[in-house]
Amino acid sequence: MMATLLLVLALLWPLLLMLRTLLWLAMEQGGLKRPGRRPVLLDGWWVSSPIPALLLALWPGEALLVMEGWLLGARWQLEDVRRPWLLFSAMLWTLAGLYARGYLVSEQQAAESGDVDAFRRLLGFALLWPLTLAGNLLLLLAEDIPSFYMGFAVMTFAAYGLVVHAGHRDAHLGGRAYLIMAVLGEGMILGGLLWSAGTVQVLTLTELRAGIATAEQGAWMSALLWLGFGVKAGVIGLHVWLPLAHPVAPTPASAVLSGVMVKAGLIGWISTLPLGAEGIEPLGRVVIVLGLTGALAAALYGVIQRHPKAVLAYSSVSQLGMIATLFGVGMVAPPLWPALLTVITLFAVHHGLTKGALFLGVGISEHPPRMPAWLLWLLLVLPALSLAGAMTSGLATKWSFKALLYDAGHEALVTWLSVAAVGTTLLMCRALWRQWCERGTYRIPWYAPMPLAWLGCIAAAVSVPLWMPLVGETPLWPPLTEWLGLLWPAMLGLGLAGLVLLASRWVTREWRAARRLLPGDLWWWYARLATKLLNVVHGAGDAWERRAVRLRERLLEWEARFTAAISELTRFELYFRRLAVPLMVAVAVLLLLGFWLGQMQG
Amino acid sequence: MSQAWLPLVTLATSLLVVPLIFALPERAWGARTVLNLGAALLKVLLVALMVWGLYQGESFHFSFTVVQGVTFLLQVDALGLMFAGLSSLLWLATTVYAIGYLEDSPNRKRFFGFFSLCVASTVGIALAGNLFTFLLFYELLTLSTYPLVVHRGHTKALDAGTTYLRYTLTGGLMLLLGVVALHVMVGDVTFGEREMLADLGPDAHGLLTVLFLILLVGLGVKAALVPLHGWLPRAMVAPAPVSALLHAVAVVKAGAFGIVRLVYDVYGISLTYELGLLTLLAVIATITILYGSIRALAQQELKPRLAYSTISQVSYIVLGISLFGPFGTVAGLVHLMHQGLMKVTLFYCAGNYAEELGIHRIDELNGAGRRMPLTSIAFTVGALGMIGLPPVAGFISKWYLGMGAVQANMPWVIAVLVVSSLLNAAYFLPILYRLWFRPGPAHGVGEWPDERRLGRFETSGWLLWPAVATAVFSVMVGLLAGVPFSPLDLATFVTAEEYLP
Repeated sequence: MMATLLLVLALLWPLLLMLRTLLWLAMEQGGLKRPGRRPVLLDGWWVSSPIPALLLALWPGEALLVMEGWLLGARWQLEDVRRPWLLFSAMLWTLAGLYARGYLVSEQQAAESGDVDAFRRLLGFALLWPLTLAGNLLLLLAEDIPSFYMGFAVMTFAAYGLVVHAGHRDAHLGGRAYLIMAVLGEGMILGGLLWSAGTVQVLTLTELRAGIATAEQGAWMSALLWLGFGVKAGVIGLHVWLPLAHPVAPTPASAVLSGVMVKAGLIGWISTLPLGAEGIEPLGRVVIVLGLTGALAAALYGVIQRHPKAVLAYSSVSQLGMIATLFGVGMVAPPLWPALLTVITLFAVHHGLTKGALFLGVGISEHPPRMPAWLLWLLLVLPALSLAGAMTSGLATKWSFKALLYDAGHEALVTWLSVAAVGTTLLMCRALWRQWCERGTYRIPWYAPMPLAWLGCIAAAVSVPLWMPLVGETPLWPPLTEWLGLLWPAMLGLGLAGLVLLASRWVTREWRAARRLLPGDLWWWYARLATKLLNVVHGAGDAWERRAVRLRERLLEWEARFTAAISELTRFELYFRRLAVPLMVAVAVLLLLGFWLGQMQG
Repeated sequence: MSQAWLPLVTLATSLLVVPLIFALPERAWGARTVLNLGAALLKVLLVALMVWGLYQGESFHFSFTVVQGVTFLLQVDALGLMFAGLSSLLWLATTVYAIGYLEDSPNRKRFFGFFSLCVASTVGIALAGNLFTFLLFYELLTLSTYPLVVHRGHTKALDAGTTYLRYTLTGGLMLLLGVVALHVMVGDVTFGEREMLADLGPDAHGLLTVLFLILLVGLGVKAALVPLHGWLPRAMVAPAPVSALLHAVAVVKAGAFGIVRLVYDVYGISLTYELGLLTLLAVIATITILYGSIRALAQQELKPRLAYSTISQVSYIVLGISLFGPFGTVAGLVHLMHQGLMKVTLFYCAGNYAEELGIHRIDELNGAGRRMPLTSIAFTVGALGMIGLPPVAGFISKWYLGMGAVQANMPWVIAVLVVSSLLNAAYFLPILYRLWFRPGPAHGVGEWPDERRLGRFETSGWLLWPAVATAVFSVMVGLLAGVPFSPLDLATFVTAEEYLP
């Protein structure tokens, strides 16, 4: 009972906080135009928006809420599979919210002292942040398809406002890339869901998975859904929004975007694809190839980026490629799926929190807290090493999937994934190097919201294997004999990075080609292609329109001619008048004749 | 139990108001307002009463013989009641809106007189029990709308009016032809007696197909099926409340409703399916949906863009009908209501922008969300609903269309739905982007074309509240689709009647 109440509260609380701001606005109607002090928008209550969700995740026991009247019948629930996802999402949202209070403090002060523009932008952030959160929580908790889709859509579209928060040209470009790709994804998801749900005639996700597994066109449905959710999950080719949207979004928004929201794509895969059932092996092979390509290509392209957040975004694409590979293995070898799901959950949670810590760290290196420099940079390096798989949660994650893949006989895959890990190490070095180059000097107290949230995030990230409520047992800590096998990618990566650093000391000339490789890689090609296509369509449309106009003109001309012909008829009036008398006489005669003939007959 | 008076009184509420309005002097603003609102409220009440009665299993009938073999028949069935409910509800909202919109313009008496006549004919169409009665009100609608379209009286309006008459009268003629032919074949065609035509046997199938096409052309003009849609974008010169009513309930919807009647109550779904006409309908609907969306993309002004969007959206209803199976029927019927609610909201908002800020073009909308937040929120709700995003009503329609497509074994329809959603997003999202994320006059960049301060709020309350109310309704009918008496519930009720013997 309590758990169900918490479930309702978890979803309602962010919306209530949003409503509070709106009500305040309505009451102050007109007051905004006056100069003067404004209220604190990002206050303690605002930060508390994910707290009920956090409590719900920690509450023992399952929760279930069924509402017949909601959409087509709602069924929201929390069980063991969803719990880790909800827990880490709520944690990261809380920490990022706290961080946002510090990050946006200058805007907040400007708003309080009467800067109307700053106030408006902050207002947008303060309203859309809880809305995005509510969408995210709904998609995690929903078991019925309409609610799930609704959560996904609300989260996706509300997050657009977070991406374009800064309001400059780059922000709008990033926002546009984000939105266009998101709409494409939504379209594919809608198509996939309608097709599959229509075929198997169900409303819940569990039944949908079971149904797709046995459906005739199940493989194609799965492919469509995989691609649709793949936009969020950064599948190579569909990933172009990540490196464009992340650098421009405010840092806390980037953290949740990369930490939690891209995981919605993975949740989508887990919820809708018939994983663990036969029938989608060909798709699985494609997924493995695409996943590995993404993991490697993103690493290669990412190391030449300059903006630390762009580098981190490419690292997200690379990591998500690795996770996609694991999904592919699950499709190729269905019996492995239950174990793989545990590993994937661990991987996702590890990546979510670690990437969150890394993104939050970007803001920290710009506004360093008052603490010894060695400690600060050690703490910045720690999540990077973890992500590279050399320490703590990263090591545990790597060991768990490596052990699993070895047991299943996928040695080649393990090698490729290790190569990708080398790439990750390089990306981390690059990101940290760029952070070092762009480090700030203005220091803030270490107990300010920003450093506190960042420290909290690091603590949560490195200790993932200790507190994560995982289903099923996995060997988390590798035996000592395996350490060399696990650590060589990180060492190789560090070595390579060192070599590059040395080389750059010698070669002073700048490599110009690298400057031209903008973040967003394929996006620019897509944009050019779309422009060309649109031109063709426009040309065709114009030609069509001209033809339609001509046709209309011809019709009108005919009509005019016809009307003229009708008007001409009056000329016959004269003849009619002249003929009237003879005509009447003729008719009378005919009638008489008729009567006479009739009488003759009679 | 048969209660003859209820449908008759419902019809009379708006019909009897007409002479009263014409009798009142032009400046009797207060009396006219009370009369209009009173009649609108009364009609909502009466329709609610009939819905209640219908759920209780009562039936309402009124008929008299005009000439031998031709009867005037008003009867209440679930389908007609849905349409009557929609029109009475939106009439109330639009009356409020129109009172605010025409605040100080000339010829208000004429406007409200014909406005009431227009709604009376819509109710007549909804409650008509046979083809003859339907035709009567259908033609009355054509004629009563003309003065509304040309209300402004300038050359462009008169031209649009001429185009409108040209299309609709030709359509009416075709319809007359079809109705007379059916009359000759089987006598009075009462809605709901589907065996009549089916009993004619296979010999008549050729003739029936031809007649169906003739009737479809007649109805398709009003329903704005491509290529018979030309009048609709041009009729955009009418005042905003007229456009709202035209697009949401009256003319376009009357055409769509006529097609629904034609398929379900004249021919019967099984006969239509047997004749292979459902596939034809599906193809026509698909072409209309895609063509309307593509043309909408190219429009630079707000109201024409909404007009092309209507062309596209109304065909969802036809698409739903053409999907053989209960889900398709539910989709078509429920969209009849949903589209009305969402589109009326969009037109109110477009009218608000035009009245308050003088905005007609889309590129003038920059930053309007800051100046008129409530209107812009309502517009956003309507636009997202048109794209088909939950929780707005459009999602429910789309969901059932998808289910129906698979049930009818036409999965390609899903591809049409997805493409259409993407196109909808492509022409609505840029507007939302301009509203909320582009700096405009409200941020000190440039100036509004023609700003007036009409009221205490962002604009006059008469204009604002109808838009907000319909937006709230659009969300509620989507969010709470599963509760009794929701449009979805009503549509399911109608469908059960259709498919279960």
